[in-house]
Amino acid sequence: MNAIPLAIYLVAAALYAVHFARRDAGVGRAATTVLVAGAFVHTFVIGMQTMEVWNAAFASASRAASTFAWLLALSYLYTELTTEERAMGVFILPIIVVLQVISTVAPSGTQPNPLLDSPWFWVHMLSLLFAYASFALAGVLGLTYVLQFKEIKKKSLGFFYTRLPSLQVLDVMNARTVTVGWILLTVGVVVGVIWATQAQAASPLDPQAQAFSIGDPKILVTMLTWVVYSFALVARRTMGWSGRKAAWLSAAGFAIVMLSFLPINYLVTTSHSF
Amino acid sequence: MHLFLLGVSHRTAPVELRERLDFSSRDVGAAVEALCARTGAAETVVLSTCNRSEMYVASEDVAQTKQELVRFLAEYHQLPADQFVPHLFAREDDQVAHHLFRVAAGLDSLVVGEPQVLGQVKDAFGVASERRCAGPFLNKLFTSSFAVGKRVRTETALGEGAVSVSFAAVQLARKIFGKLAGRRVLVIGAGEMGKLTAQHLRTQGVGDIVITGRTQARAVEIAVAVDGRAVPWSELLPALGNADIVITATGSQLPIITKANVAAVMDRREPLFIIDIAIPRDVEPGAGDIEQVFLYNVDDLQTIVQENLSRRSAEIQRAEEIVAEEVGRFMAWRRSRTVVPTVVALRQQFDTIRRAELQRLDSKLSGLDADTRARVDEITRLIVEKLLLEPTEQLKALPDEETQVAYADAVRRLFGLRADDGAPVTAREAGAAKRPSTEDPR
Repeated sequence: MNAIPLAIYLVAAALYAVHFARRDAGVGRAATTVLVAGAFVHTFVIGMQTMEVWNAAFASASRAASTFAWLLALSYLYTELTTEERAMGVFILPIIVVLQVISTVAPSGTQPNPLLDSPWFWVHMLSLLFAYASFALAGVLGLTYVLQFKEIKKKSLGFFYTRLPSLQVLDVMNARTVTVGWILLTVGVVVGVIWATQAQAASPLDPQAQAFSIGDPKILVTMLTWVVYSFALVARRTMGWSGRKAAWLSAAGFAIVMLSFLPINYLVTTSHSF
Repeated sequence: MHLFLLGVSHRTAPVELRERLDFSSRDVGAAVEALCARTGAAETVVLSTCNRSEMYVASEDVAQTKQELVRFLAEYHQLPADQFVPHLFAREDDQVAHHLFRVAAGLDSLVVGEPQVLGQVKDAFGVASERRCAGPFLNKLFTSSFAVGKRVRTETALGEGAVSVSFAAVQLARKIFGKLAGRRVLVIGAGEMGKLTAQHLRTQGVGDIVITGRTQARAVEIAVAVDGRAVPWSELLPALGNADIVITATGSQLPIITKANVAAVMDRREPLFIIDIAIPRDVEPGAGDIEQVFLYNVDDLQTIVQENLSRRSAEIQRAEEIVAEEVGRFMAWRRSRTVVPTVVALRQQFDTIRRAELQRLDSKLSGLDADTRARVDEITRLIVEKLLLEPTEQLKALPDEETQVAYADAVRRLFGLRADDGAPVTAREAGAAKRPSTEDPR
């Protein structure tokens, strides 16, 4: 079922690319319309899956990726509609498509794990996935900031210069998305810790529950993510790390997020794979 | 009905003559009214900018209109005709549309792609329209030209990129700071370039503009012109620390702002955009290496202007294609106008017959209730419309005027169409277009 939104997202991605290259406003509007349709269908698909198995919406890697893609589409649409800037779409849509491809090809675990049958789990997963979606946006904003910064600094005003919003807008949007992402990440981590403590106390014999520890690669990477973004926020406020440095930080932060989400999830985690 | 254009532009006449023939410095409305009244032309529009004075008319007799227009120009501007006649250019019919569309697109401008001319074309038509000097022909011609201007702007990059140094600087500032509202500007040196750029920035809504120079009096003068304030030369470095955008254009032989000066004020979060338009340069080039400092000198800006100009000329071909396409569309519309009077007469005749028949059957229909009678009326009307739809479309789609006249004539004979005064309709066709048509068949 994840293939249907994937197909729509692919069309939207193509339209955003054409819009970016040709700067055709009509194609841009079409791209937004298609993306809205994709997000709408996706909402329906996720709703169906959640009804099917109550907590299954993010209880497997496949479904988590799908929810991640969905939240990213929603956050991006929110940003686009509030700023009237469409240039970012060409960078965001590929991320959405990749996530949706993962959710389509990865096996969707239909066996609900009793360990995840908890309201904490919902808060934990939703806030983390939303945080990652914000970081994805921040990463793209950072990347485009750096690309355009280079062009203006080197005085070769070209491809990106004519297509992207101003440096100031990119920087302000970056600051906002990082702040929102950081708050959600903090909520997600705190809830995760409380919930893990409870689960360990409740099922002392479950080896998976007992394996939650700071040593788990996935938890370690998440903590690293939290440190990076906390530093980004503090540095912006106290050390004047705005502009290019902030942009690099958010791009690096998002690389870590993708690292925690993709290879670690599938390969090295011991306790955190469901 | 023919379209005709007579005028001078920067391509045909020197500036001295254009000034003498200019309508815009005086009341254009009065000019177009006088033109309307004095000539036999049915419709008139006067387009007058600093680069052109052009009279657009729709009239029956082009040769006569041309003479009248020349006479009008001579009288109105009190200038002997032989002084300006060699510089006039004239266009007829589709050439008029071609010319106006190129003008509206910015293709005929001194700086190709400049956007102001479209607004001027709109104003010219608005003035004529208000005074009822423009009728259906010029109405269609000018509204089509607005569409051409808009298409060229949205579908090509003809109007993109600044083509003057000061605008290039403003555009860069907007790319760095976004909206310029509230940004603080420092102007160093009291030259014309600095003043011009500061004025452009002022129209962008910047906040404080501070001017400093070695001669305080001149700085005060500029401060008044750009609605800023002058500070003494000794305040230069503190002012630098407070500015977001710096324009420097002094005649100094040595740099007046060193890299160290700039580095000292860059312990802040906001970027600093320095536009050094002085020769030799006022700012040590090394200052541009500092993070968050964007340093542009006059050569950099000129390079941008040159690139923009060449990018614009690369778009000319596409813009010309749009113009040609729209001229074709306009000409098709114009051709379809030839048959309009015939079509109107045909419809009137059919409707008269319909009403007469309903009238004749009135006694038989009187037994029906009001609702059903209304429906009978509606049905008969729809039948007539459907019968006429195809022939109307076919007539309008005929390829050239000659064929259209022949077909209109045939229709007139077949249906025995006569005008009120007994004259065959086709004889009045051209004249009929002069009146604003109340019924415009689809």
